[in-house]
Amino acid sequence: MAISVADYRSLSARAIRDGIARADFSACEVAGAALAAIEAIDPRVHAFLEVTSKLAHEAAVRIDALRAKDQPLPALAGVPIGFKDNMNLLGTRTTCASRMLADYASPYTATCVGRSLAAGALPLGKLNMDEFAFGSSTETSCFGRTHNPWDLDRVPGGSSGGSAAAVAAGMATVSLGSDTGGSIRQPASFCGVVGFKPTYGVVSRYGVVAFGSSLDQVGPFGRSVADVATTLDAIAGRDPFDCTSQECATSFSAVLDAGVEGMRVGIIPAYLEAKGVEAEVVVALKGAMDRLERCGARLVEVELPNAKAALSAYYVIGPCEAFSNLSRFDSVRYGYRAPGARDLGDQYEKSRADGFGPEAVRRIMLGSYLLASGVYDTYYYPAQQVRTLITQDYHRAFEQVDALLAPVSPRTAFKFGELADPTAMYLSDIFTIPINIAGNGGMSLPVGRGEASGLPVGVQVIGPQFRDENIFRVAAALERCYPEIERLAPAVEGVEGGEA
Amino acid sequence: MYLTENDVRGIATYARIGLSDGEVAAMTVDLNNIIESLRPITEYDLEGVEPTFHPIAGLANVMREDAVRPGLAHQDAMAIAPHVESGAYRIPPILGDNGGDR
Amino acid sequence: MRGLAAVLQEWEAVIGLEVHAELTTLNTKMFCSCPVDFGAPPNTHVCPVCLGLPGALPVPNRAAIESIVLAGLATGCEIEKRSMFYRKNYFYPDMSKNFQTTQGPVAFCMRGSLLLEVAGRSSRERSCLDGTLPLPEAYAQEGYCTVVGITRIHLEEDAGKMVHVGGTDGRISGADYSLVDYNRCGTPLIELVTEPDLRTPEEARLFLQALRQVYLTLGISDCSMEEGSLRCDGNVSLRRRGAAAYGTKTELKNMNSFKNLHDGLAYEICRQAEVLESGGTVAQETRHWEPASKRTISMRVKETADDYRLFPEPDLAPYDLSESFIEAVRSRLPELPDAKRARLMKSHGLSYLDACALAADAETTAFFDAAIAASDVASAPAAASASAVAKPVANLLINDVAAYLNTHALTLAQTRLTPAHLAELAGLVAEGTISSSQAKAVFARTAAEGVSPARVVADEGMEQVSDESAIEQVASAILAQFPDKAEEYRAGKTGLLGFFVGQAMKATAGQGNPKLINEAFVRLLEG
Repeated sequence: MAISVADYRSLSARAIRDGIARADFSACEVAGAALAAIEAIDPRVHAFLEVTSKLAHEAAVRIDALRAKDQPLPALAGVPIGFKDNMNLLGTRTTCASRMLADYASPYTATCVGRSLAAGALPLGKLNMDEFAFGSSTETSCFGRTHNPWDLDRVPGGSSGGSAAAVAAGMATVSLGSDTGGSIRQPASFCGVVGFKPTYGVVSRYGVVAFGSSLDQVGPFGRSVADVATTLDAIAGRDPFDCTSQECATSFSAVLDAGVEGMRVGIIPAYLEAKGVEAEVVVALKGAMDRLERCGARLVEVELPNAKAALSAYYVIGPCEAFSNLSRFDSVRYGYRAPGARDLGDQYEKSRADGFGPEAVRRIMLGSYLLASGVYDTYYYPAQQVRTLITQDYHRAFEQVDALLAPVSPRTAFKFGELADPTAMYLSDIFTIPINIAGNGGMSLPVGRGEASGLPVGVQVIGPQFRDENIFRVAAALERCYPEIERLAPAVEGVEGGEA
Repeated sequence: MYLTENDVRGIATYARIGLSDGEVAAMTVDLNNIIESLRPITEYDLEGVEPTFHPIAGLANVMREDAVRPGLAHQDAMAIAPHVESGAYRIPPILGDNGGDR
Repeated sequence: MRGLAAVLQEWEAVIGLEVHAELTTLNTKMFCSCPVDFGAPPNTHVCPVCLGLPGALPVPNRAAIESIVLAGLATGCEIEKRSMFYRKNYFYPDMSKNFQTTQGPVAFCMRGSLLLEVAGRSSRERSCLDGTLPLPEAYAQEGYCTVVGITRIHLEEDAGKMVHVGGTDGRISGADYSLVDYNRCGTPLIELVTEPDLRTPEEARLFLQALRQVYLTLGISDCSMEEGSLRCDGNVSLRRRGAAAYGTKTELKNMNSFKNLHDGLAYEICRQAEVLESGGTVAQETRHWEPASKRTISMRVKETADDYRLFPEPDLAPYDLSESFIEAVRSRLPELPDAKRARLMKSHGLSYLDACALAADAETTAFFDAAIAASDVASAPAAASASAVAKPVANLLINDVAAYLNTHALTLAQTRLTPAHLAELAGLVAEGTISSSQAKAVFARTAAEGVSPARVVADEGMEQVSDESAIEQVASAILAQFPDKAEEYRAGKTGLLGFFVGQAMKATAGQGNPKLINEAFVRLLEG
């Protein structure tokens, strides 16, 4: 029995693996359905920068061989996965959606990618993003914008817009993204899928092109909390190639049914009244609060007095780290080299001016300024002190509660070009950035459509550092309160072909 | 106003990004706006507050053993390069009008 | 330009050094597991980390941290338990990430010192001995001791290497293009910075030699100035004798041998004196020593190059070294050159110069100690006990062995010579079986063929005649043969003793014990 594209698009990771185990369908058939879905849908969504049909088929053949020999199937066996294009996968390009790396074929594989594949996932390809992850809309990609599958005239959010859109459109079952200031959670919210940024250190950053080294964290997207948990279980844990990665003994999949009876969930009153937060976002959040309470959680009001400084701290620390991380793109060993340079300095300046897009140039310039002697003490050092205050806020809050509930983005997905001013765009991350500053985990969970916009709205569940299982417990319980939620974006419905 | 166009030119030189005059003018406006938005950082009372450079509290002394592991094959290291010669990365003359001294 | 000696009569030179040593004895690089190995074809010891590929992350080598702590303990530094790596941001094509990972304001090792002994004629270069200490009397040398402060030793990574093509002599200026090789990129490097405590080029040279001996003894680097694994920059300024304020300093580069370090500093001191004496001012700049033309030339320096945008490296965890980590390193400290020299003088009664020569490298000292130990355990007669063989063993090592190694371009380990051979040979000399001149011939065969000295002596019938009555017979016969010369001696021409001894040696075919022969003649002629 084969698998239809329509069936494939709605299946969970668990259902795919079980289906292969039961021989309802083969991994090769799953790969075929996934590639057919991409072929049918992606011309309108443009989530993929590269489709790796061959790699997907090769991985599927290995899974089918295991099945044929009745050997146990790994956790993500036959599950189609996509990777944000800042993750290295041997045999593919890693472009970071930049002209600078348009032709760069990585000679090695990122740990998170390697672990996904070791867990049996089928690599579908590389996903669009804001250039070098600088942005919140995927509009800064130099290979064209990605469309929100719920409304093709709108952005999918960013920077991991392709990762969110591919899952929302049912092309990939799960995907990986990276989150420096909200780049997993905000697009998950805009696209109506689950997106999780783990505590800093849970997933190795090795092989993921760095933006802000002390802020970046890799995490999964899926159409359910369970799929996200299964994927995270496969990629989490200590990696000898990343000094900041930590042992992870928890199985996130195992806590999903634990419920929230007796859990204390924190609410930040100031967030409900914050300026610029749309009413439908507040309504959605309050709806989630009510449901959690009905599930037996106790709501507790907490304060995060220093959260308001997080945005400015972020726009100091992020650009400073990015300036330094992006210095390696110098056209010497790899990457774009401008023609006709007189000398090395000329070649540096031309290659970097032409290779980087405007937002990348802006952040590099900002970082270069903020680290200059004299300026360092005015911004960089105080920003790291502010980071201490923000971290202390969370410590205090988590003495009173087991998790926090907050908005993800002040609004639902906006139209292309709607936020042209860079500082206005920066403001769209006010609820996600503090978590990166403090290093905690945060998940965006879809709770239905906004009553005004009709577009997906997410709520954010935040946990104490290295207690990410709290987030999964709350999110899984909350997810069960919304059985009616659409898992697939309807805007791209009706395009699927027949059987693959 | 935090930065003049001349300051911005200096920053671009340091960051090794060639900007046209028009780009310098636009960048000066953008950077000044962004820097203005960073003002809260400069207004905080941070007396006696330790900085947090690393988000994981107490993380220290992460090291590896001094044992060789295979690296990249030479041809793989060369395959990614824009210009190679004699097994090395070829670059234009270092000293020129824009020469990079250190 | 006046000479150095004349300049230093009026001016005091204030010199500080920055010494870079690659940790060449480690297996792997600082932040990746590529081998530390020189001479491989370009870009064959590289990986994503040391090539600065997108997404790569550094992981520090534990052995490199241990090595720098060892260096710090050996130079009296305080070991800072808490420190961090920083990124030093500047573009240069041999540095793959365009930032160098190095340490910030707090280095692993801070506030140390080395005691420098300046002996012999070169000690006269320092015209002002304020703040110095006398040499110990036992040294029997003119000179002084001075404490050279060590500001810090920090750990960082080395850059790659470049070849400049198309210019003259492979120079960077005028080249058509350059080729970059990253094999060396990421090699662990320790940089030691001294206080401005040195006063003469000779002190600078001796300091670098002393430091090199410490590093060699610790086994943390091969310290080859030729290969560039030991590199030294200097900064120097002048002030009038007795003045307190420092003058403007220049930084000197390219002093890639002990001689170049000395000569470069000497030239720069004289140049600065000339500038100052003609009413000029010294420009604060970096200057390049050109050994061929024996002068320093100014290097073009960009003003912006000074701002390195230093900030803590977020990809690396900070350090909080435990007491047990430091103590474990301390337990590995070998005997250091100063202590070694003192021990050789005290326990074996060696002279200052002999002790210096033996302590100069670890292999020689170890060989000496092993030879002494071998003579202790050997069932040698009392005359050949350890203390009696120390001097001859030392002489053999310093003279015969050194000359042999030099001639054949060998190290001790490459010869067939063992410490036991040396002990046996010294014993044969000490007990008077052979003369020192015979010892040379024995040594040559032992070194070349690995035959034991006793065997060589037996084979060639070299045993000295040490039978006193036999020697007295020979002496009497010679006096009888030259009665007029004996008369002259008795009349006061005692210089003739040499003549008689020579005749006796001839009569015994060189096997007479010269000391006994001497004594016999004196007894017969004066008794």
